[in-house]
Amino acid sequence: MNKTIGVTRFPGTNCDFDVFEAIQSLDLTPKWLWYGDHFSFSDVTAVIIPGGFSYGDYLRCGALAAKTPVMNSVREFAQRGLPVLGICNGFQILCESQLLPGTLLPNRDSRFIDQWVELKLVNGCRRFGPESKGVSVRLPVAHGDGRFYMDADGQKRIEDRGQVWWSYQEDINGSIGQIAGVMNENKNVAGLMPHPERAMTSWMGGTDGKSFFTSLF
Amino acid sequence: MDANFETENGVLNSQLKQYRLSLAEYEKIVQVLGRAPKGVEWALFSALWSEHCSYKSSRLHLRKFKYRNDQVLQSMGENAGVIDLGKGERIAFKMESHNHPSFIEPYQGAATGVGGILRDIFTMGARPIALANYLCFGDEKSAKQISLVDGVVRGISGYGNCVGVPTVTGQVEFHSSYKQNILVNALALGLFRPNDPILTSQAKGVGNWVVYVGAKTGRDGIHGASMASEAFGDNAQSKKPTIQIGDPFYEKLLIESCLEVMAQGLVVSIQDMGAAGLTSSCFEMAAKGGVGIKLELDRVPLRDRTLTPEDILLSESQERMLLICEPHRFAKLKGVFERWGLDAVVIGEVVSGRDVDLWWRGESICKIDPRPLVDGAPVYDRSYEPWRVKSRVAQAKLTVLPETDPEKILLNLLQSPLGGSRKWVYRQYDQRVGAKTVRDASESVAVLRLPDSGRALGLVLGCRPHLMRFDAAEGGKDALLYPALELAAKGFQPLAATDCLNFGNPEKKEIMSEFVATVDNLAQTAEVLETPIISGNVSFYNETQGKNITSTPATGVVGLREQVNGIPLSVFSRAGDEVLLLRAPMLLISGLRAEPNAQNTLAATESSILGYGTLSLKRARGLIDCVRQLTQDDLVTASRVVGKFGLAYALARMSLGGIGARVRVGEDRTLFGEWLYEVVLAVPAAMLNRVQATIRSRAEDDLLLEHLGSTGGVDLEIMGRLRLPIKSLRQNYEAVNLHGPTRE
Repeated sequence: MNKTIGVTRFPGTNCDFDVFEAIQSLDLTPKWLWYGDHFSFSDVTAVIIPGGFSYGDYLRCGALAAKTPVMNSVREFAQRGLPVLGICNGFQILCESQLLPGTLLPNRDSRFIDQWVELKLVNGCRRFGPESKGVSVRLPVAHGDGRFYMDADGQKRIEDRGQVWWSYQEDINGSIGQIAGVMNENKNVAGLMPHPERAMTSWMGGTDGKSFFTSLF
Repeated sequence: MDANFETENGVLNSQLKQYRLSLAEYEKIVQVLGRAPKGVEWALFSALWSEHCSYKSSRLHLRKFKYRNDQVLQSMGENAGVIDLGKGERIAFKMESHNHPSFIEPYQGAATGVGGILRDIFTMGARPIALANYLCFGDEKSAKQISLVDGVVRGISGYGNCVGVPTVTGQVEFHSSYKQNILVNALALGLFRPNDPILTSQAKGVGNWVVYVGAKTGRDGIHGASMASEAFGDNAQSKKPTIQIGDPFYEKLLIESCLEVMAQGLVVSIQDMGAAGLTSSCFEMAAKGGVGIKLELDRVPLRDRTLTPEDILLSESQERMLLICEPHRFAKLKGVFERWGLDAVVIGEVVSGRDVDLWWRGESICKIDPRPLVDGAPVYDRSYEPWRVKSRVAQAKLTVLPETDPEKILLNLLQSPLGGSRKWVYRQYDQRVGAKTVRDASESVAVLRLPDSGRALGLVLGCRPHLMRFDAAEGGKDALLYPALELAAKGFQPLAATDCLNFGNPEKKEIMSEFVATVDNLAQTAEVLETPIISGNVSFYNETQGKNITSTPATGVVGLREQVNGIPLSVFSRAGDEVLLLRAPMLLISGLRAEPNAQNTLAATESSILGYGTLSLKRARGLIDCVRQLTQDDLVTASRVVGKFGLAYALARMSLGGIGARVRVGEDRTLFGEWLYEVVLAVPAAMLNRVQATIRSRAEDDLLLEHLGSTGGVDLEIMGRLRLPIKSLRQNYEAVNLHGPTRE
């Protein structure tokens, strides 16, 4: 099996090297996907959209990145049922690309938050991370716009269809239902505000991030 | 006096005022040029001879920072100091002030302070991997102070987080002396991995091209350097137009693209455009390289077409770089920048001779040797008095404030903004981007893992203003000793330091005396610790309407440790460990208390600092070495240097992890006075003998070891003096929050 994972790079992405190195540390092969280029689907088994400030968060977080050539490829890749994970700004980009439901608003107190959080698995994703419901993991968050929002009907719809992936154990940013991550209906596209690539070894403070990469294979 | 002379004199006076030059400086310029300055020359001398650019009041004394060792690859003179860590790894680091702009516009002032110091680092070819900041505010509980705190923290957060460099540590102080002159000092540290080149700013190679990269030039920040070289009157807000606006997204693009062209060998030399903009970068590059430069100012990309040549030369628009490139490599260089969405424009070339020749619309408007501008600024020997112990603000006998209700005193300290948690600040900073952070801003020493060798790099800031208010000489020693001791308590060997010397008006004798005493003591301490001061800056004129700040020589000290594992925590991590106090008592400081319900102040009352004794550098060095030996040998599970609120406060902080302690101290021993220096160590019971043996083997260090008690339980108990549940310590400690109003 091809163990290559595509990692997108936009102007302003800043977790690109961290995700790239996390993948390498697990003896998998990362491959850069430049924002201005399309890519061939046979080259990569999965795509990860790392966090950061693509286009400086201008206009809206993720809005400009969603309109780039690489995201056209990602959209098609996802429509074929292939796995796509967006982390933090990557999650915002997937929402802006209409690949995931909902939107991410500024945190309730309008401030950036950096801290470790406990997460609970609401529904397993077929591709990324642990699968057994109720399991909890500890990962760092670092975001200014992490408040997941949908209207009440939308929230009921994604809950009914099992699209809520992770929830925060504690309300840190005002997200509806304390939602930290969601999936598309098909569960091959997933978005997560916390950063698994920052929890890869004990010296980082935890190793719960590993399974988000290894579970693909 | 005839009318003509009077008019000429009036014109000269108004020119001097406009360009912030003194009559004596004018006369020196006339002497250098052999004639009166004309046209843009006025602006050039104004900028490059400003205190900010020329260090004219401090240069004489900064020469005392002369201690160097083999590890120093670059020091003062380049954009940042560089030290060799061995194994191919090298780091560049520097701290710089952005005080004046941050008071006028806190968000942009702080943000561009971060941006500027980052450019100093990646200009040399190092990838920035850490930021830290040293902040001082007034202690008034007013909307103005809160908005300054909030704006500065948001500015640092907004810029640092976006650009993708973690802010890993910091220090925040409150005192009335900073009310009209806040301090915002930003430190950046960059890493050269084994094959990365170190770049310099020396222009070289006649015929090479001068290339402008980055943001277009606008009207912002014109005359910023000379603004920062003046005291505030009652009109600080009128200086708003001299503030720069930062764009961290642009900076991120510059970091990636510049590091890429450097790695590909496409750059001869490079300099960022910081204070005094294009003028200082171009003049410094020519002067350092010993070559001439011809610049065509009309080729500079502009945001505003009405800018005059003088505006273009002095604009401090952010996120701009000037580099020298061989003509045949330009196409490739331009290609890299274009891939990142940036434009690279040739605006001049390196020419023979030594002159900088400035052209505008087909005419040479100024042709001048840059050396007198860059190196020929006047050097002032401002008057000062030699430091004596009698210069101390307050002297005391060996006494401390009464400690009749220690539980109440402790809880008050924990919930005051001085003694409380800084989480409300640092949680707004991304501390982990880059995936190297081993210990974040919640710890006393920030730790990063070096990716190639797996070794640990420690970073900690120094300078404790309460000691500077007591005695500038002792405070100057402490500004290096304390951070070095904090590093040692985590098993780090201190390697080198940077400093940011924030002082008041150097034209006042008492301020200059403090400055000289501080520099002398910093220099001696650096030598005794074998920790060279390799970069830094001086910020004078932190004065408003005659009132000066506490002299504040902020420092940043870097240390190295062989492994990332086994670093002692700053909280008790296991029950049943022995609690030890390792002491080299030399100086006792007392006088700090918190009155959290005081009406108008944020923080502590500082009745007046009482002090007794003098620091011996040799004895401090002995303590530092001994502590490091213990922590490197894995004998210690938790460690904390006893700081400004004394032993009880240090033990309380160590209990906040959830494991308490039961200790006994002498009945007459102060709980809240600070003995310089003491370190609390928690060691496994089985290691106790080895710890004692180590200390005995270092008898010449003259250290005292007290066995205080042991860890465990859910209370902190100092027998016969206080007993408090950790829960209430924590509630008080975490209650601090100086957030401004929430914006939805």
